[in-house]
Amino acid sequence: MIAAAWVCLLAPLGAAVAITLGGTRWSRRAAGYLATASVATSFVAAAVAFFSILGDPPEERTHLTTAWTWLSAGNFDVGLTLLVDPLSIFMMLIVSCVGALIVGYSIGYMDGDEEERRFFAYMALFVFSMLLLVQGGNYLMLLVGWGLVGLSSYLLIGFHHERPAAVAAAKKAFIMNAFGDATMALAFLVLIQRTGSLSFDAGFEWSEGAAGSWAVNLVALGLLGGAVAKSAQLPLQTWLPDAMEGPTPVSALIHAATMVTAGVYLLVRTAPIFEQAPGVQDIAAGLGAATILLAGLIALVQVDIKRVIAYSTMSQIGYMFLGAGLGAYANSMFHLMTHAFFKALLFLAAGLVIHALLGEQDMRKMGGLRQFLPRTYLAFLIGALALTGIPPLSGFFSKDSILASALAAGTYGQVLFVVGLAGAFLTGLYTFRMVFLVFGGEPSAYAREHFHRPERTEPWLWMGLSVGALAVLAVIGGWIQIAGIWHPLADFLKPAAEPLIEPTGLQDLFASVLAVGLGIAGVAIAWAVYSARTIAVPQSRNMQAVLEHKFYFDELYDWVFYRPTVFLTRTLRDYFERPILLGSIDAIATSARRIGNEVTELQTGLVRTYALSIAGGVTVLALVFVWVK
Amino acid sequence: MGPALTWYLAISAFLFAIGALGVMLRRSPLIVLLSLEIMLNGANLALITFSRHHGELDGQIFALAVMAVAAAEVVVGLGLIVAVHRRRLDLDVDKLSTLRG
Repeated sequence: MIAAAWVCLLAPLGAAVAITLGGTRWSRRAAGYLATASVATSFVAAAVAFFSILGDPPEERTHLTTAWTWLSAGNFDVGLTLLVDPLSIFMMLIVSCVGALIVGYSIGYMDGDEEERRFFAYMALFVFSMLLLVQGGNYLMLLVGWGLVGLSSYLLIGFHHERPAAVAAAKKAFIMNAFGDATMALAFLVLIQRTGSLSFDAGFEWSEGAAGSWAVNLVALGLLGGAVAKSAQLPLQTWLPDAMEGPTPVSALIHAATMVTAGVYLLVRTAPIFEQAPGVQDIAAGLGAATILLAGLIALVQVDIKRVIAYSTMSQIGYMFLGAGLGAYANSMFHLMTHAFFKALLFLAAGLVIHALLGEQDMRKMGGLRQFLPRTYLAFLIGALALTGIPPLSGFFSKDSILASALAAGTYGQVLFVVGLAGAFLTGLYTFRMVFLVFGGEPSAYAREHFHRPERTEPWLWMGLSVGALAVLAVIGGWIQIAGIWHPLADFLKPAAEPLIEPTGLQDLFASVLAVGLGIAGVAIAWAVYSARTIAVPQSRNMQAVLEHKFYFDELYDWVFYRPTVFLTRTLRDYFERPILLGSIDAIATSARRIGNEVTELQTGLVRTYALSIAGGVTVLALVFVWVK
Repeated sequence: MGPALTWYLAISAFLFAIGALGVMLRRSPLIVLLSLEIMLNGANLALITFSRHHGELDGQIFALAVMAVAAAEVVVGLGLIVAVHRRRLDLDVDKLSTLRG
């Protein structure tokens, strides 16, 4: 089982290295197959580990393995340690399964691109980074994976390096993530200072003894900062929509498998610390709830098909934060899994639409594509229904279980429950606005003119297969856990993270009825507004401006961070660096040159003058000696 | 005893001064070399004088060393003069001033 974990971790890395070193010796197609095969190998290895761990009794399912010790200073040891426990195996399965489908889809999507090999090397690196993150057996390995995920996302978002917008988006994502990395690193430094160790267990034991102290709160806040940055929650959410500049499979990978879910994983993994800092845990849940609403509202006015899906991701991750913050860890992880399925499905289906329209992403130009792309429409519809949480698709089971947990978590939880319900309504509205705009109605003039039927070649087959597989998963993925009746997943995850709240059957029923009702209401309104057009689109200039500017977060950060920094550096450049630093160096250089010029006048080239000056000098010296004596 | 020490030294200084003036005033490199030799010999005379006066051989040995150096220097100097002459340049130290700053 340990060997399987290592294979799972290292297969994508091996593919990334092989593609990079092989260079043009790999054909473009072969690089894609190699990357896909490596991630599929990871999935098989993860499955092997999963089945072998099932054979152990539930209390003995945590295995730590250290390949070698990395750092050793006094009593402080950090090694290349892997952790295999139910939580990490669960994440490994999701990451490698969804990852393999997305990388396989890319064989078709990226077919004919100039730099396919580089793309597949990055994709494999991305999956490796995420696997390292979820398998890391101590905080340092976690941080290494965390940083590598940030690096790979930077490389992939900026994959079209000839487009300035893509480069800017990549930098934005990297800087926002670096902020989270920094707060996490600070939290780890506090842990080292307090416990002298970076192992998970030492941190958990210490936090129990130090419950409620400022140090625990500080550590939890630092971890939360990292989670918020990686998962694009308030207030570090602005990088995620811009990250849509990357190719569509990259968006799918970031949203479904390898990146934004890392924050939720961190909250669940370090839950024992968060439980000793209840204030910070409430902040996490509150931030999640705020993000649900904010992202849902912004998604209503977006016109780019990928951006709508991006905002829906933010909002769904908000549900997971809400659940993890309130202590419903298993429900949070459950939603993470179903979300990975239907979000990857939505992105990949959107990729098919974009491909068929030769790269167009503006929904205003689309319309009536149901007639051209019936199977893509079906897949997209499944994804949209799952996202809205319509039974019996996967999103229904997982989202409603989080909402039911919120209902069971006291007054604060009930406030968040209401926010979550509003989010469910918004989800139905913006998702089906997208569905009706893209697929509904009569084909638009633009779609008629630019529609391009994909050729049924082998790469195209890969895209179809991936989307089909994900559609099946998005339908059945929720059936592994049905609230109140059947909960193998919660039992499996229990040793890693014991849930704090158990909703009653009545609460489950209440939450489900309300959430599904509101979701359907959202769909109905979207239908009335965008398909039947019985209701006009509500016009409110101010509201629209606020939403289109994404609640002015970019502008706020521009004013609060960017402009003062630029002002400060300009001032320093103009009034300090240029006049004082550069000025003094210039003055030294010019005066040295001037002295040199003047001294050369003395060198006449006339031997007799030299002789005279030597004689004169000797005479003066002689006279001095005589007189002084 | 011959003439007093002062006389030897006076002649030595006189020779040195003549040589120095020659170096500084004459423009022909040949004469400059000759004047240099006169200066060296003035110095040699002073060395030998003091050697006699103190009854020690150091000064005389030093004078021999000076002569050897002078001979070597003349070889180099005359070689330079021949080289300059071969290039059909004027034998005038004031015109050989290419190395001015």
